[in-house]
Amino acid sequence: MYDLLTGPGLKLSIGICLIGLIIRGVLYIKGLHWQLDRVAYTAHLKAGIRGALRSIFFWILPFGARGWRTQPLMTVLFFGFHIGAVCIPLFLAAHTMILQKALGISFASLNQTVADVMSWGVVVSAFFLALRRLVLPEVRILSGPYDYLILFLSAAPFITGLLCRYEIGDYSFFLLIHILLGEILLISIPFTRLSHILLFFLSRAQLGMDFGIKRGGMKGKGLNW
Amino acid sequence: MPEGTLCNRQPIQTDEALKTLLSDTGGRQYYQEMQSLPVDTPLLWETIQKTCRSRIRTWLSMCARCGMCADSCFLYRINDRDPKQVPAYKIQSTLGEILRRKGRVDNAFMQMAMETAWAKCTCCNRCGLYCPHGIDMGVMFGYLRGLLYQQGFVPWELKIGAGMHRVYHAQMDVTDADFTETFAWMVEENEEDYPGLAVPVDKVGADIMYTVNAREVKHYPEDLAEAAILFHLAGENWTVPSRGWEQTSLAMFAGDWEACKIQVESVYDAMERLKPKRMVGTECGHAHRATVVEGPYWAGRKDGLPPVESIHYVEWLAEALRTGKLKINPEKRIKEPVTLQDSCNYVRNHGLKEITREIMSYIVEPGYFIDMSPNREHNYCCGGGGGFNGIGLYRKQRNKALITKRDQILSTGAKLVIAPCHNCWDAIRDLEEEYRIGIRWSFLKPLILKMVEIPEHLKPEE
Amino acid sequence: MFKKILFATSATEACDHAARVAFDMARRYHAHIDVFHVLGVPTRGYSQVVVDLTTGDEVTLDDNYRDLVKEEIRSYYDHQIQTTDDFAITVTIGHPHREILRIARAEKPDIIVMGGSTGASGSYAHKKAATGSTFQRVAKAAHFPVLVINRPAASFWGGFSNVVFATDFSDAADHAFAFAFKLVKELNCEFHLFHALDITCFQTDNFHTQDTIDDQIRNAIAQIRFRYVSKMGDFKPYAMEVWEGIPFVEIVKYAREKQADLIIMAYNTRQTDDPEASIGSVAEQVILRANCPVISINRSVGKE
Ligand code: HEM
Ligand code: SF4
Ligand code: SF4
Ligand code: SF4
Repeated sequence: MYDLLTGPGLKLSIGICLIGLIIRGVLYIKGLHWQLDRVAYTAHLKAGIRGALRSIFFWILPFGARGWRTQPLMTVLFFGFHIGAVCIPLFLAAHTMILQKALGISFASLNQTVADVMSWGVVVSAFFLALRRLVLPEVRILSGPYDYLILFLSAAPFITGLLCRYEIGDYSFFLLIHILLGEILLISIPFTRLSHILLFFLSRAQLGMDFGIKRGGMKGKGLNW
Repeated sequence: MPEGTLCNRQPIQTDEALKTLLSDTGGRQYYQEMQSLPVDTPLLWETIQKTCRSRIRTWLSMCARCGMCADSCFLYRINDRDPKQVPAYKIQSTLGEILRRKGRVDNAFMQMAMETAWAKCTCCNRCGLYCPHGIDMGVMFGYLRGLLYQQGFVPWELKIGAGMHRVYHAQMDVTDADFTETFAWMVEENEEDYPGLAVPVDKVGADIMYTVNAREVKHYPEDLAEAAILFHLAGENWTVPSRGWEQTSLAMFAGDWEACKIQVESVYDAMERLKPKRMVGTECGHAHRATVVEGPYWAGRKDGLPPVESIHYVEWLAEALRTGKLKINPEKRIKEPVTLQDSCNYVRNHGLKEITREIMSYIVEPGYFIDMSPNREHNYCCGGGGGFNGIGLYRKQRNKALITKRDQILSTGAKLVIAPCHNCWDAIRDLEEEYRIGIRWSFLKPLILKMVEIPEHLKPEE
Repeated sequence: MFKKILFATSATEACDHAARVAFDMARRYHAHIDVFHVLGVPTRGYSQVVVDLTTGDEVTLDDNYRDLVKEEIRSYYDHQIQTTDDFAITVTIGHPHREILRIARAEKPDIIVMGGSTGASGSYAHKKAATGSTFQRVAKAAHFPVLVINRPAASFWGGFSNVVFATDFSDAADHAFAFAFKLVKELNCEFHLFHALDITCFQTDNFHTQDTIDDQIRNAIAQIRFRYVSKMGDFKPYAMEVWEGIPFVEIVKYAREKQADLIIMAYNTRQTDDPEASIGSVAEQVILRANCPVISINRSVGKE
């Protein structure tokens, strides 16, 4: 079972995830339309790229955008969650080994304490993100079962991962569950809102180009995000 | 159920239809008929299939429902943080829902969507700056307005406004003859004080082609006079087109894309005809947005630019002051606390944030200019944008919306507000009328005219 | 001389004195009279809503409302209208000064008659937005004589016979003179040319003795001769005088002494540039206090 999941299972889920994301990305870009979107994407590529990079940069930088600065709590939760969510799957020592074995790619791996902090960060932030959804009226009105499901889907591999890490309960059982949940997460990425892993960059780039080309980017220093 | 005689899916095409609709005082019958206006769902879905592409679809589907956009919207803040005013909620419950239901929505839904699109959003695009995913609800509301307009669910005044553009190529019933005639009148009124003052009409190859807001022609011709005088004092080689002089677009507020195209093409035709070096538009925000920022796309111009370089009045003014074409008498600079309204349409949406401040540095005694907070591209809408100012049906909501700006102005302590945008100017005037906070407000032109030095050779003989 | 009178009115008490003069003039000189009323100022952006200038209410404009207002005006002036049959009533919307100037330009009246204390018209905010009153702004721009009546024109009984022309020797005063002279000639009036020497500027300066003032008075008399009398040909019934004092006070006093039924003077624009100055030019001060009609002129009359 373990071999099935870490071997073909992993390959398959990573494949589905990557191919799925590529397809979504291609469809997104193909679906852009200079006239309907009212952005002359190709006519001013340089200004567009500059705008796109600025738009992405300020928003992946913690407290980089005014939007982050005005909502510090959310910012802490967001980065607390996302730093781990992105780094742990790729750089945790145990993960790099499996990746090496299954796909032959090797990444540098994280120091154990750092990894612990990150993982806890994911789980704790996820908890508070869920709480936030329940408590704040402006978020509650936007939230439905799907939103909790996505959050749960994302956090579950980390929760089970921590259970394994501290060897709470039946290690091999939780390990299997952990791997299974991780693969479900991978597979669901292209089909759910989790596709934002890629689409975040494309959407931010698009708006960046919009501002960079049409809405003033060629008129001065550019938008102060 | 048939469509109404006034409220229907047909745009206004003739002067007669315009008059008929106008005579329906306050849109009473119009809104009555709207109660039973059927929704052409196949048309709605077909239009969406054709025009709703990956950008908007992705925005709607990837929205993390995180609510970070809530606080960015002044309408949410001012309406006691009503969750129903959260931008993401507003767009998901309207456009999002239409997409999810594949266009199968009913009359009640469309009326709700209409109120949301015109009374709960001014298309100020501020929320777009605060969404981590870069989702711009203002853009989507603009799109939604187009769908609603096509189905006939549009506020009465805007149906008229769009019709005006179709019939008169102007937002009001001002003809081309009225336009040149009014300019001539203004020259007559002022030529004794400014010898040699002239308004060259249809001069080919001038440095500047000037375009205006029809309301200036109809109700504030002083504004035309001031523009002419300032160009005259600056020694500009300028002209106005006898056709294609209207820069504004109520059609944009209405979501009547076809009328937008008709309108902006009339201006571009004038550019092609007169081949000026540049176009300068009057102190209007949405006019600039319509003609300079969005217009090229309606007209199908692949480079996204108007046929000739087109700038806002503040850009021309800053340049004239910088290069000394216009000289300010330092004695006469503003010596009282003064603040500035950043118009979303050319500040957030066209980057002209520093240029207005440069002007302030020339015309305000150092120390007297006080910025609102927030400002520049993060400013709040004046409260009357996107057509909100003129819609009788939503007057109450609009008056409430003005409170944001009122409080921003109050906390600067300034008693004079400079508003180089017609819509903002209107809204600020209305807020004074509603709330009486004891402020004055002004465009730039009259202020400049009071402090500009008149070159010796242009002075009237004593 | 007066074949066409444009009577711009708020159709309220504020214009009652003006109405009497306007209609009396129309009867006396067999003139056509245009009763012109701006019923509302457009408001609310591009919408159809106007602020009714009489009630201050917001109303949505349509033909019905227009007709209603017209009817109201007609009944308000019912009495006067019966004395003339050559009249028209026009109502419109817009900013009053602008619309008055607009119709004047189209109709080319011989004179515009207005009430003096119509004040800055419009709703609260319009008042604040406008610098100066409707009269100020009309007077400043019009190529027409503007006749204003603020107080009951006690000494006016339908025609003009005794006219004071008060000059400050400005260009505008030249225009005013041209008109005044034409008027006195055509209507066979007595003509009083007057200048008030402004001594307010001497007060801080004790060097100026009565001698200098006398010098200046002599000077002014010479100027009147040179600038005006020389252009009057063999016109006889005139007198001229120069008094020192505060100009508007002296002008009013002089007019009273001469029992003038009309004062004609320049409206000098430059003094009203300051939006804060609620008291405008000398002309406005005179209007406030004179008990006869005042015609103010700022530009060459009848040009264009
Ligand atoms: C480079 C990669 C990623 C970027 C740039 C990114 C960016 C974002 C952004 C901008 C949001 C919306 C703001 C928010 O709701 O907090 C978001 C939400 C979210 N992301 Fe990511 N993300 C990335 C990777 C991931 C990964 C790998 C996961 C899952 C393991 C994930 C799970 C989530 C979840 C669950 C939410 C919704 C949070 C909520 O409930 O409010 N993201 N992400
Ligand atoms: S901030 Fe953006 S992602 Fe979050 S709810 Fe608003 S629109 Fe959706
Ligand atoms: S565009 Fe402006 S008004 Fe509309 S939802 Fe966004 S912030 Fe609110
Ligand atoms: S009226 Fe002015 S402040 Fe309001 S949305 Fe338009 S540009 Fe912005």
